[in-house]
Formats: sequence, structure tokens, C-alpha cells
Amino acid sequence: MKSWTRREFGCLTGAALLTALRPRMALGQAKARVVVIGGGIGGATVAKYLAASATTIDVTLVEPRQVYTTCFFSNLHLAGLRPLEQLTHGYEALTRQYGITVVHGSAEAIDPAAKTVTLNNGSTLGYDRLVVAPGIAFRDGALEGYDEAAMEIMPHAWNAGQQTRLLRQQLESMEDGGLFVLVAPPNPFRCPPAPYERASLVASYFQRRKPKAKILILDAKDSFNAQDLFQDAWNRHYPGMIEWLPAQFTGGVTAIDAKTRSVITAGATFKAAVANVIPAQMAGRLAQQAGLANRSGWCPVDPVTFESALQPGVHLVGDAIIGGDMPKSAFCANSQAKACAFAIAADLTGSARFPAHLFNTCYTYLAPDDAFSNAISFKPVDGKLKSVISFVSKVEESSEVRRQAARAAEGWYDAFTHDVFG
Amino acid sequence: MRLVVGFAIATGFVLLVSQSEAAAGADQGAQLAATCASCHRLDGHDKGIPPIIGLGEDRLTSAMLAYRASQSPSYIMHAIALSLSDEEIASVARYVAAQGRNPP
Ligand SMILES: Cc1cc2nc3c(=O)[nH]c(=O)nc-3n(C[C@H](O)[C@H](O)[C@H](O)COP(=O)(O)OP(=O)(O)OC[C@H]3O[C@@H](n4cnc5c(N)ncnc54)[C@H](O)[C@@H]3O)c2cc1C
Repeated sequence: MKSWTRREFGCLTGAALLTALRPRMALGQAKARVVVIGGGIGGATVAKYLAASATTIDVTLVEPRQVYTTCFFSNLHLAGLRPLEQLTHGYEALTRQYGITVVHGSAEAIDPAAKTVTLNNGSTLGYDRLVVAPGIAFRDGALEGYDEAAMEIMPHAWNAGQQTRLLRQQLESMEDGGLFVLVAPPNPFRCPPAPYERASLVASYFQRRKPKAKILILDAKDSFNAQDLFQDAWNRHYPGMIEWLPAQFTGGVTAIDAKTRSVITAGATFKAAVANVIPAQMAGRLAQQAGLANRSGWCPVDPVTFESALQPGVHLVGDAIIGGDMPKSAFCANSQAKACAFAIAADLTGSARFPAHLFNTCYTYLAPDDAFSNAISFKPVDGKLKSVISFVSKVEESSEVRRQAARAAEGWYDAFTHDVFG
Repeated sequence: MRLVVGFAIATGFVLLVSQSEAAAGADQGAQLAATCASCHRLDGHDKGIPPIIGLGEDRLTSAMLAYRASQSPSYIMHAIALSLSDEEIASVARYVAAQGRNPP
């Protein structure tokens, strides 16, 4: 057996004592069990950082899909600039390098009293702590006529994968001169700049392949994120191609007719060659069923530990939460996940707690070699996540600065997906 | 003291704790470096984003202090540096520099 140095001896006894004092870590149960539901950006990050934080924690990740396709950069796929395979990531490294058990199934029910999760195959998993990161769901009946069948005709492509592929195929087979209608959702929704980034990148594709095509954005809102940057870029890159109609002008989109591929507003009906309908959103279904969401449809959490305000012992991260000033972005989901993982690890192992640092950094494409960026830091203040420092690109930035941002975005994609899945 | 260690060895806690002492959760530098890892790969493979591995503690510290003082050349790093205290900058620089000496 190894002989201990004085220093190791000192810190080991202290930490061992702390550990030994914790009832959950008592004899016979050396490992605490954490179950993470949802292997998207938030869930995969929590699982990885929990497993890396302490060998005394046994981590199980529940995710129905074998592989995850990122929404970020999926607009580049729509523009024909990236194959979907390059946006697709597996879970092998999480198992191989971090010892995480990945269960491919869907969580159907949570019993917080018994501390169990029931999966769709009928099996149950017991936990000491649970993390729920189910992403978004679409609000039922928000848009008349937009049901599961309509989604196959007028895809939302707001979860990446098959829907993204479908929308890309429709854009490819569209005739030159056709009308592409994009229905933009009401706040709050996943990734505030993304509908407008999508319009920009689809325009860049049309410019190359279908120069007579037009893009019409029917918005549920009267203004949108980084509007000045987008409208400046649309004038510079795609003059006359993109028209944006705010809700105050159309009265808002009220219904969809999938048979005729029409989008119906209070004042007019628009017949599309290709329609991308992004409906109103709420926290993923499981969060609703398990009583983790409030009447807003989103989940209130403690901004330090990301523990549910409605169910003790259950934590939530990512798009499903009420994030205060934090937007629903992959970067925020990843940042919240780390804070949550370290808080849980400190609780379960008695290791030190440090103040968390929460950020959002976002690169948004206006054209293939023109991207803008923003950076925001957040802090918990009075029980809410508040933005503390924020910067966003300016309209007058040079084309060289924008070109560099587009290049940095690619480096970010590589590093970020490695941080989550690598 | 002896009793406590005896108890710890008997229950297997010594092994578990000695590993977790070195693991990410126990070290403030490691927790802060997790933030860096959202943009900078810590295995030396950065592409498109400047690498931070292999820079050394002093250069990392002075770079962070320079970012804190000015928005140019990167307001992303300016925002991040502004949110860190001197002690936090020191501990993340120490941790990241150590990763550079010993790539994971
Ligand atoms: C077009 C577009 C572009 C975007 N671009 C950016 C960008 O540039 N930068 C950025 O930071 N963000 C971007 N985003 C936002 C980003 O994709 C989301 O914010 C992020 O994915 C949220 O992570 P999450 O973990 O909350 O949800 P998700 O990543 O959606 O993960 C949820 C996971 O939970 C699983 N799940 C759901 N229910 C269950 C269940 N019952 N049991 C088990 N598993 C379940 C799902 O299968 C899924 O894998 C973009 C989004 C879109 C749509």
C-alpha cells in the first residue's frame, strides 16, 4: 500500500471526515447516484462535469436518440454550407472517458418522493439527485392547423436532425422565383437571433442558386434581437430579397393550411413555395408532466444551484428554465450546466464551493463570411439571473472584423462541441 | 487521528477522496477553466480561436489583466476578464498553465 505524505494525510482526513459525515455517503453506499434526463447541450454538459468532478458520483444520462445534431450551425446546413453529419455527435466519449452510463430511452415519469424515474421501456432508475434538461416543446394549439402532420409539410427545424434535412430538401427543390415564408415565434423562445440568422443564410443560398426567390418573415413580434445588425446586413448583402412584417402590420399569424402550404394572418393569406413555421414554445413535455413548470410553461429555479423552485432535489438547466436575463442558448445551457454540476458535486461530496461564472457568447451569421458576436456575463441578484456586463457588435464594424468573427465561430463550434461531447 | 484514517481506509473513502481532490470539482482554477473550455479546447487543438494551452502562468495572467483593462482587441475576453477577481485570474492561470505542462 502507498505511504501517505503529511500533506496528503492532512487533507485526506479532513475531506474523508466531511464525506463520512454525510448520511448519503455512509457505509455500503459509497457512490451517490445522479440521473440526468436529456442528452442535449445542458444535460450532456452536466453529466460530463459531474463525472469529472468526483469519482464518488455515479452518473447516468437518459437520452432517446443515439446521436445529437446541433441546432447551432444548422442554418449553415440550410444554406448548403455544412453537411448535417458534421453537426452530429455521439455519446461514446462520455462513456469511455468519463464512465457515464448512457441509457437510450425516454423518461416518462418522475417520482420525487421515491426518487425514481420511469423510462418508456418500463424500467426505473433510482437517484440521489436528478437533473432535468429536456429542452423545448411546442405549445399545443398555438397555431390552428399546425399539427404533427403539418410539421412534415411545413417544417419548424427548431430541433435539429430530420426536420433540418427536410427543410433543406424543400429549399433545394424549390423553383427559382418561389416565395419562402418564415413564421417567427413570440418571446420567449429558443435562440433569439436564430430565425433572422436563418433568413440571412437562406438568402445567401438563394443569391447563389435561386436569385429570383423572395423571403417573407411573418413575425409574432414587433421588433427582434439585434434588429439593426440584421437589417443593415440585409440591405448590404441581399437588397430587395428579404421582407420582414411585424405583428402590428399583419395582426399576427393565426392559422396554417398545410394542404395549400398557406400561412394565414389576420389580414391576408400568403401562399408559400416553402414554409418554415416556428411555433410558440414552452419547456419540454416531461417538465410539464412532472410539475416542474409553472403557469408560464417554463421552470423556475434557484439561480445559484439550478435546483427547481417547485421540487426539491430536482435540478434543471437549459432552455426549459426561467433564466432571467439569460437567453435560451446552447452557450447558456452549457454555462448553467457547469454551475449546476459543481453545486451538486459540492453537496454530495463536501468539496469546496466557489462562486459560479455564467456567460453567453454568441456568433451569428449574416452571410458566410460575415458574422457578428456578443458577450454577456450574468450573476444571481435577488433570486434572479441578471446580466452584469454585455457587449454586442456594432453596425459600423469593418468587413475584416466580421470575417474574423465568422472564422472564430468555426473555432468556437469545434471547441464547444468538444467541451460538451468530447 | 489514527482512528479516523483507519475508518476512512476501511470504508474505501481514502481512495475515492484522493482521486476527487485532484479532480475538477475540488479546485477553483479547474472550475474557472471549465468556463474557458466553452471556447478554447484545453487539449492543444484550438482552431480559429487562439489557444491558451502552453502559454505559461505569467503570460496568461498578464493577458487576462490586459483584457480586463481594454475592450480591444476582444470584447468577449474583456467581458470575461471583467467578471473575474485578481485571485480568480491567478487561480485559473495557474490551473491552465499546469494543463499545458501536462496535456490531458
Ligand atoms: C436554428 C438554431 C440556431 C441556434 N444557434 C445557436 C448558437 O449559435 N449558439 C447558441 O449558443 N445556441 C444556439 N441555438 C440554441 C441551442 O440549440 C439551444 O439553446 C440548446 O440546444 C439548449 O440546450 P438544452 O440542453 O436545453 O436542450 P437540447 O439541446 O434541445 O436538449 C434536450 C435533449 O433532451 C432530450 N429529451 C427531451 N425529453 C426527454 C425525455 N423525456 N427523456 C429523455 N430525454 C429527453 C432530447 O432528445 C434532447 O436531446 C440555436 C437554436 C436553433 C434552433
